[in-house]
Formats: sequence, structure tokens, C-alpha cells
Amino acid sequence: MIDLSTKIGPLLLKNPVMTASGTFGYASEFKDLVQLDELGAIVTKTVTPEARPGNPPRRIVELPCGMLNSIGLPNVGVDDFIKEKMPFLQTLNTSIIINVAGTSENGFVECVDRLNDVDGIAAYELNYSCPNVKQGTSFSSDPQIAERLTRRVRRTTTRPVLVKLTPNVTTIAEIGAAVENGGADGISAVNTVVGMSVNIKTRKPKLATITGGYSGPAIKPIALAKVYELTRNVSIPIIAVGGIATAEDAVEFLITGAAAVQVGTAHFYDPRASIKMITGMENYCKENGFDRISDLVGSLNL
Amino acid sequence: MSTKKLYDSVVVNVIQVAQEIYILRLHEPELCQGVHAGQFVEVKVPHCSDLLWRRPFSIHNIHLARGTIDILFNAVGRGTAAMCHLKSGDVCNILGPLGNHFQYDDSLDHAIVVAGGLGIAPFMLLQRELADRAIPMHLFYGAGSKEQLCHLDVFEQYADVHVSTMDGSMGFKGLVTELLLEFLETFQDRSHSSLYVCGPTPMLRRVKEIAKEFGIPAQVSVETIMACGFGACVGCAVPMVHPRPGVKEYYLACVDGPVFNMENISIND
Repeated sequence: MIDLSTKIGPLLLKNPVMTASGTFGYASEFKDLVQLDELGAIVTKTVTPEARPGNPPRRIVELPCGMLNSIGLPNVGVDDFIKEKMPFLQTLNTSIIINVAGTSENGFVECVDRLNDVDGIAAYELNYSCPNVKQGTSFSSDPQIAERLTRRVRRTTTRPVLVKLTPNVTTIAEIGAAVENGGADGISAVNTVVGMSVNIKTRKPKLATITGGYSGPAIKPIALAKVYELTRNVSIPIIAVGGIATAEDAVEFLITGAAAVQVGTAHFYDPRASIKMITGMENYCKENGFDRISDLVGSLNL
Repeated sequence: MSTKKLYDSVVVNVIQVAQEIYILRLHEPELCQGVHAGQFVEVKVPHCSDLLWRRPFSIHNIHLARGTIDILFNAVGRGTAAMCHLKSGDVCNILGPLGNHFQYDDSLDHAIVVAGGLGIAPFMLLQRELADRAIPMHLFYGAGSKEQLCHLDVFEQYADVHVSTMDGSMGFKGLVTELLLEFLETFQDRSHSSLYVCGPTPMLRRVKEIAKEFGIPAQVSVETIMACGFGACVGCAVPMVHPRPGVKEYYLACVDGPVFNMENISIND
């Protein structure tokens, strides 16, 4: 029996496989297809203080080994989220992590404050980095703002606070260090890579918002390099996200130093991608003589 | 309605039924149960690992006794080109049934179906459902040319079929909407009729105008780009005619549709 449990600061997960925000809805969309309780954690689609309709279509583009999206964080707002989405999430026997965003610093604080009274939440993940929202990335491109906002949220809650960072910066380690100083318990890295695609017949951008976020297997090497950079420069746990679709992908990130992984885009074409990964990781450990998956974390031979 | 499931379905065959139009027949007895016209499945195209998404297709037909499901597709892109090459015995992973379906009740006297090109796909199953309830069906079916029309013989067994082609190689020469307009102008039983529509955007836009002009309710099956087909990616946004600005402005084609009352959605490019 392999010990698959992993720790993200004070947060203990039964295994290192999480769902990435915005790719797993509010879990109920997947209930017919997977045993949700088997997952290490479920990260919900971003919730904001007020409802958002999302961006106009076209919102998504398929590209070789990846996709562009510009969804724009549509959601019902935190009050209706608590009424409509939390009851199902509370029935699940896995860690529920609520991904939170605001268009201002106050928005983040307000949203977390509102959720603090709600049972069944294991942690928050702060979305500092949605490229499809105006000012969406300033929280994760300016270290001073990133640190200040993290500190404000840290003081708002006793629950673990994770921060999701964008790869669209020169030095991600600088932002990572800032959120660590601000009191974050872990860092999710990375959000989507800014990208664009043009229809050469109409000469129009394919996405209504012109640019969007690139995700899928194509961005895995980028994510891996960012995770590597972060593990060398911060001491809080890193949760890897970006193009992770198979157990082999996940193992690569764990070896590099990630304490856990998130599966994103793969859920769209293989709703069982995250569940399958758990067994695959266990098999890797058996075949390679690891009794505990935590022994694999950071075992990179340099 | 049946719960969505993932199936590793065995390919029975792929047959060409018109110019660049094929039927993929899969053996999946469980999926055939409780499927309704308008619903769709998401197909993972085998041997195309760099094509990320599944492809959504209307359920074209089912055969309960044989336990097969038919998907009508146009070989236009890499995914559908690969689907043409599937062989009997190959395995194809599909997810379904997905989405809502066409509505009709016993007070309906006439179903007026308007299909453009591959928009014919969901109407084979609809015809069977209507036939079971003895609701007359009038089919207006337009395509570029005679070679692009499929299953006319099957539709003619039940429906009153009106064909148009752009090149005039069969039926009326011109747009199917012109043919529809001509029919409705002399059609007496409009008050107990419904329009059922699927096809290219300009056709939908024109049918919406015609439906409004004649006061006939219209249900449309929309085709949108989708990454998942079950509400997770939130990519398949369809603008609402009566949005709650800043709160809710879009439906999702996959879970709120693919069938909508035409008056509720705005038909954009």
C-alpha cells in the first residue's frame, strides 16, 4: 500500500491530484462520470463577489495540443454560489477548495469573508491571474500588490490560503516570494499563457476578446520550468498546473518539486483524466520503489 | 432522460451517404435507450492525439433491436476526415447522451422542419418520434446540390418533402427559406404548427424572421464550438435575447441547449 497523501501547509490531501479551477465546474457536472470522493481535492470554478455573465463568444479555440480560452469568469456571485453550489460540494468526502477572485483587492477580501461562515471548505485559492478579466493579472504581476493582497486575505481567514500565479511575468519567483511573505500557504502555478489565433480568411482574431489563455499539453514544459523556478526560490509548497494530462506528466512535476498537481484542460476531452492519474501515480511508486509519494517530491537528480 | 456516460463503442461501419457526408454506426445498446431527437454525443476521434477536443454530433438515428447509434457527419476537418477511416471493429470513445431535445405535444397538428445541409442530422430521429405520434411532418431540406442531399427516400416515406438546391440540380433552385415562405403563405393550419430548425447561420436568421412574421413557434438546434459538451468548459455561450445585463447574458449550448426556442436566442455569426 503506497501512501499517496501530501501536505500543502496545514492542508492534508489524501492524494496529490486536484482539479484545476474552471475545468471542473462545481463538480456536479462530473458526478455521473467519476467517483468524486477519490480525488485529492476539488478546486471550484472561480467565484466573485458579484455575478458575472462572462465574455461574449467566441470563447474557445482548439489548437494543436492545446486550446485558447477567454471565458471571463462567468459565475452566479458569492451569495448565490453559497446557496446553489455549496450544498452539493458539502456532500463530498474530499477537500473542497474555493477559487476566489475580485476586480479589486476589496473584492477578494469581501468574497473570502463571506465564505468563512460556510462549512465544508478546506482552503481558498486566490485567482490573481485570470488573463481574460480587465486588471485580472495586475495582482500577480506586481510583487507589492501581490504581497499586500495576500496579507489582507491572510488576516481575513484562518483557513489555508493558496495563490494561483500567472506565467506571464518575467520572474515568477519574485511574485512567489511576495505571496509567501504575505502569508500564503501554497502557490498554484501556473495559470494560462497569454495567446492569440487569427482566422486568415476573415483576417479577424478567432477569440472575441482578441487574446486569451493558452492551455493544454502544449504548455506543460512552460509550467514545469516555472514550477522549477519557484521551488528553488520559495519554501511554501507548490501545486503544479499547466498541461498535466497523464500520471507520467504528474510524476514529472512531483519529481521537480511540486507537492501536488492540478488537472485542467484534460478534463474537457477525458472527464476521467484526474481519476485515472491517481492509479497511475500509485503504479509508478510501486514500480520505482517509493513507499510514500512525498518521497518522490523534489527528488530531481541534478 | 438517460444519464450521460462514457462508452468504448465498437464501430459497426462507416458508410458514405452523400457527397462528403458519412454515417458512423456504433454498437452501443445501452446508449440507445431513452435517447431523444436533438440530443448529441461527444466523440473522441481515435489516432488523433494532437486534436484535443471531442467532436459533438447530433444523434442521427438509433436502431433499438440492433443496439446501434448513427452519427451523420461531414468530412470537413482533420477530425472528421479521420472518422471516415474508422473500420468495423475499431473502438471509439463516446460521451452521451448530452443536451436537451426537441419538444412537441399532442396538440401539435403539423411539424414544419427546416434543414440546411448537415442540419438534417437530428431530424431522422425526430421524424420517427413524430411518426409514432402520428403528427404530420413537412420537411424543407436545402443543400448546395443534389449530391449533397441524403436519405430523401427515407424521409419521403413519412414526410411531405420539399427540396431546394442552390444549383437547381434537384427541386427548387435557390434558398430553402424561399421555399418555406412560399409554402407558409398558402398553408391554412399555421396556428397548430411548430417549426423545427437546424442549419447554417444565415438560414437560421431568415427562418427566425419568417417564424415571427407568421407567428409560428420555432425550435432551433444550434451548432457551436464546444470543448467538453457537459457544462465544464463554459465555452459554448449563446447570447440571450432577454439577458439580465451584467448577471446572465448567455446560455450554454451544451446544457441549456442544443435546442432553444428561437425567440430566446440571438443568432450571430
